[in-house]
Amino acid sequence: MTDVPSIAQQLQTAFPVLAPASPSGNGMVQYRLDQAQLPEIARHLHHQLHGRLALLFSVDGRPFEETHELHYLFAFGTGQPWILLTSKLAGQNRLFTSITPSIHAAQWYEREIRDLFGLIPQGHPDLRRLVRHEHWPKGTHPLEKTVPWNTVMERQQGEYRFRHIEGEGVFEVPVGPIHAGIIEAGHFRFSVAGEPIMQLEVRHFWKHRGIEKLFEQQRLTAAVPLAERVSGDTTVGHSLAYCQAVETLLGIDVPRRARYLRSLLLELERLHNHLGDVGGICNDTAYALPHAHCGRMKERLMQLNDRLTGSRFLRGVMCAGGVTRDVSAGQIDDTVNEVNRIEADFSELESIIVANASLTDRLEATGVLTKRTAWDHGVMGVVGRASGIDQDVRRDRPFAAYDELPVNVALYRYGDVRARMRVRMDEIHESIRLIREIRRTIPTGPIAGEPAHQPQQGEWALSAVEGWRGEILYVVIAGENGQIHRCKVRDPSFANWPAIQWAVIGNIIPDFPLINKSFNLSYAGNDL
Amino acid sequence: MFRILKKSLKTGVVTGQHPQAIQPSSEPLAPEVRKKASAFNRSLTIREVDTGSCNACEMEMNALTNPVYDIERFGIHIAASPRHADALVVTGPVTVNMEKALKDVHRQTPDPKLVIALGDCAINCGLFKGSYAVTGPVDRLIPVDIRIPGCPPRPADILKALTDIQERP
Repeated sequence: MTDVPSIAQQLQTAFPVLAPASPSGNGMVQYRLDQAQLPEIARHLHHQLHGRLALLFSVDGRPFEETHELHYLFAFGTGQPWILLTSKLAGQNRLFTSITPSIHAAQWYEREIRDLFGLIPQGHPDLRRLVRHEHWPKGTHPLEKTVPWNTVMERQQGEYRFRHIEGEGVFEVPVGPIHAGIIEAGHFRFSVAGEPIMQLEVRHFWKHRGIEKLFEQQRLTAAVPLAERVSGDTTVGHSLAYCQAVETLLGIDVPRRARYLRSLLLELERLHNHLGDVGGICNDTAYALPHAHCGRMKERLMQLNDRLTGSRFLRGVMCAGGVTRDVSAGQIDDTVNEVNRIEADFSELESIIVANASLTDRLEATGVLTKRTAWDHGVMGVVGRASGIDQDVRRDRPFAAYDELPVNVALYRYGDVRARMRVRMDEIHESIRLIREIRRTIPTGPIAGEPAHQPQQGEWALSAVEGWRGEILYVVIAGENGQIHRCKVRDPSFANWPAIQWAVIGNIIPDFPLINKSFNLSYAGNDL
Repeated sequence: MFRILKKSLKTGVVTGQHPQAIQPSSEPLAPEVRKKASAFNRSLTIREVDTGSCNACEMEMNALTNPVYDIERFGIHIAASPRHADALVVTGPVTVNMEKALKDVHRQTPDPKLVIALGDCAINCGLFKGSYAVTGPVDRLIPVDIRIPGCPPRPADILKALTDIQERP
């Protein structure tokens, strides 16, 4: 480790004028830059030093300061700190330089900032609206501090301009926002000539509920229920990420037992979702048998969750400081016995699934997401690991009890539907192993810590959690008297959705549901 | 082949292996709703519409189709199009962006139809009440016949509420 200069050192060698801002701490190095320098340094971080753009967000400084701040967060490999580039727009200045032309992953972030804050990314190749659909009045940017949180705006006329492909025999197939199955709301526009897909355009944000603004109305310690409802299937992932950020702000030392219980809950959540997905992928190839078996096993896990915590989705368990309820030794034994039974059950099913040649034929080489495309989009989590992106927060930046529970990361490189299913299958076994490990090593002790101090206004914290879909990021900025000034939520779906547009090209429309299921991204977590 | 058969035999029948519905799942049906519902007798086709839920309600609706709850045994089917549906099951607080889609879907569903608001968000907007992006609850935009509370309601509760509809007056 000592031989190789850290990313921060490498960056400062390339740009000697740079100096890290005041104590960054927390595994992060922050640089304050002006707009002119920023694109070049961001490009260097991304292309030369292989930094992944993990998050790009804006903060309205009002009422304390008449500024907007833009934050660019880059992630590197295991053991490297985050690099955060910050640039300030003073007063009425609403223009900033877009980095999308050189860093593709920034495209949705910059459009989101434009919609929600009214800051304009100059040089962005696509300035259509993203979050605010066309019927939102011009010039209304809901995350600006001057806009009230509770006033619904009027509607205006407007039409979204899809990208069109024209030519003989090319036609468009619109799908959504209300779909055929029991799934969430989103719109997909296919351009096809015959059966193969030439282009897919994903249009989301139908479910935009204004969550980030709702956070700003809450107190730091009271917003956990809201975090749980960002994306219902990732209740633990989101609430844990939120709690960790708040604990940093309040200086809470989370007791070891609570950290183990958090890992236990997170693995239980991963388990039931992955089981559902393996079944769902089989079902979308009309192979109903594994779907039925997976549905049955998933239901047993949901009932286990219910017995353990009183909620099938593990709601109400996480709190700032630890967890709200302890789990007795008997309950942990019950959990381990149940997941052991499920592992034996699932292993039998797995051998049936992988032995089916016609299923394999359908899954292989379908919906290929190449490593290059995945990298360009900053794809993460299950989808990334199936395309050879070796990244897992549990290993790279251990949180909860993962510093004492090493995780074996599943990694495949083909990037097709089958690889994504294999990642999930491997992770099911790994989660069960971790749950057994937790029973063996869980310490006794208290389950919640107390706040050490109140955060200063403007103090902020970043937290990352490997939810079952991938890396969940929360940035929480404290306001006055324990209020939240800003809470930026980033579900992995936000980065992964644009990548699906590339994975489907050349596939036939009937395979789209299968590919979509193999990604299984959250609409709610994306739309916020 | 033998492996598949062995697995199925070993598993046996799992239908009904779930805890019973604990809470009275919804308020008693109003007489006019019961009259309207009587047309559907033992065959009810539902269309699920998500208007901004956190997707937990969707997961519980999906759970109803698994072998444990097996909703089809009660003659309840899930249709792919509102045009084939007798009842709309609406989840979520109705976002500004979904408002028009919800009204469209309601118009496209043939009469007579039932509207079921599923989950606290659909009934009273839940935690999203008041947000600049939410115009619900559902009954502000379309008439609601049946309400199933919970965040999210357990599948057993949903099942009970849906089979209640089929009870003869």
